[in-house]
Amino acid sequence: MRGYFFKRTLELIPIFFIISFIIFALLNAMPGDPLLQMRMQNPRAFAQDPERLIELRAYYHLDDPLIVKYIDWLKNILTGDLGYSSQYKIPVAELLFSRIPNTLLLTVTAWIIGLVLALPIGIYSAVKKYSVFDYSTTIFAFVGISLPSFWFALMAIILFGVILQWLPISGIETYGLQGFWTVFLDKMKHLVLPALVLGIVQVAFWVRYIRASLLEVLDQDYIRTAYAKGARENRVIMKHALRNAMIPIITIIALDIPYFFGGALIIETVFAWPGMGRLMYQAVLASDYNLAINCLMFLAIITLLSNLLADVLYVLVDPRIKLDDVKRGG
Amino acid sequence: MFRKKFDELENEISGLPAGSYNQLVLKKFFKHKMAVIGAIIISALIVFTFIGPLFVETTYDEMDFMAIFAPPLSENHFLGTDELGHDVFVRIMYGGRISLIVGIVSSLVSTIIGLIIGLISGFLGGIWDKLLMRFVDIMLSIPMFPILLILSLVFGSGVFSIILVLTAFGWMRVTRLVRGMTLSLRESEYVMASQTMGQSKLMIILKHILPNVIPIVIVSTTLNLSYAILSESSLSYLGMGIQPPMPSWGNMLQGAMTYILGTGTGQTPWWLTFFPGFFIFITVLNVNFLGDGLRDALDPKFVSES
Repeated sequence: MRGYFFKRTLELIPIFFIISFIIFALLNAMPGDPLLQMRMQNPRAFAQDPERLIELRAYYHLDDPLIVKYIDWLKNILTGDLGYSSQYKIPVAELLFSRIPNTLLLTVTAWIIGLVLALPIGIYSAVKKYSVFDYSTTIFAFVGISLPSFWFALMAIILFGVILQWLPISGIETYGLQGFWTVFLDKMKHLVLPALVLGIVQVAFWVRYIRASLLEVLDQDYIRTAYAKGARENRVIMKHALRNAMIPIITIIALDIPYFFGGALIIETVFAWPGMGRLMYQAVLASDYNLAINCLMFLAIITLLSNLLADVLYVLVDPRIKLDDVKRGG
Repeated sequence: MFRKKFDELENEISGLPAGSYNQLVLKKFFKHKMAVIGAIIISALIVFTFIGPLFVETTYDEMDFMAIFAPPLSENHFLGTDELGHDVFVRIMYGGRISLIVGIVSSLVSTIIGLIIGLISGFLGGIWDKLLMRFVDIMLSIPMFPILLILSLVFGSGVFSIILVLTAFGWMRVTRLVRGMTLSLRESEYVMASQTMGQSKLMIILKHILPNVIPIVIVSTTLNLSYAILSESSLSYLGMGIQPPMPSWGNMLQGAMTYILGTGTGQTPWWLTFFPGFFIFITVLNVNFLGDGLRDALDPKFVSES
């Protein structure tokens, strides 16, 4: 097991370099350059001294070949120097560390909401196949996967924020509040809408998956055997069926982690939630290269790690799989 | 004559209703009520967005200053107007045209690309297969949505570049599916038989493998279509896709965002947000219904239980 884990982790290293290069190249292809922004902020200084521009280009190595720039950049981030945000005028690392907890709060809450809703609904609709509940679940799942998440968010804002005025609709806290519990409650209130929207959209995907996976297991001979020997339904489902059905489900749930971060980009933007996603969106809009590239790298690393997690979980939860059988993809 | 009898006999044995594969597919498809409804609604939407504008007098950028923020069902404006007096109903027609073109073209092209790469990878095997699949793995581990955002900045905004961007990141799942099927088909007896008869690789792929993967490919085209429509609308909503004044369902929502808290005169123009999103939702929902019905109908192993 440890050998497998080690091997899979080693495999990630070349992929990390390729992805980081693609991201770096893409950001370099973005229109405009860092000096353009400097020039716009201080047009007169550059107009008086055109040679300064050439000096600065050389100073920042803007005319180096792409691969040289990439290696320089790689050296910097691997030594922990993430650069400086041109938009916020503070080091990127500092900015990231202040925003990551907010994004984690949002995504983890949404993830939990998703699981808590999807598991029982999926299991129950598989057990009561073709019942009214099952049909309603199927319809709900279709609705959920077809819903544009940002529209869902906007409608939630209009209904709960503007018309009913039950919940705050933007930001993460109200300024000027005192006391731990007041601040905590206020934060929770701000969390409700974004987390629910992000979580519920995911429920639809998972419910269908859980239902299909459990139905496949319920068709197996050993389930009939379990019933035949007189085991009660609850026991058959919980002990015999679910344990096997969980294997693909766990994998999918791990593989979906990056989707939460991706989805958070839109949801955070709609709700003005000060997290990574919104930070990245603004960085891209403002051509804040250092910030955008580091946010992207963070997301890429999350994606790679959740793929690794899914692979490892798959082997861990299913003792029948021999390690040499595990093939990538498929 | 003989062949027909043989077919009947075979169907009797297998317990399937009589008819060719195509007839069976049609029969199963029409049994699937939601899929039929989906097909009807999508056709209606296509007619509505492509032919509808010919029958209305206003265009998407015509402003009616006498009716700013007119609510739905008001005079001359069935679904109301926005802050410039643009007619929401007309804009939804034109916007739907853009959204559907972007969705249909990018999903078709990305499916074809995925099909070709999948066939090559699965049939050739060996080092090519390894390289291509590793490439697919890498593409799948790139955080998709943020990259779409950056790509649409790189390529500029506009219908063509949005299609390009969505296509570039839409082919990987089809590739995997097709490759998997091709791998197993390659080992089947009839493919080996034609190989021993000296059939060329290209002919084997075209005549023996392609027809078998087509059903899967059709189903994944519908999945790609719903995905492309959702992505286009998200990108346009974030201001990276189709740019105003040309409307798309996504950028109409972006425009509505400004007035979501009210217009300053105590009015909440909910219709600006509700209708464009509702049309995206209805389109994607019915594409999904259609895809589900097609999957049931095209899969010969899946015998309808109803």
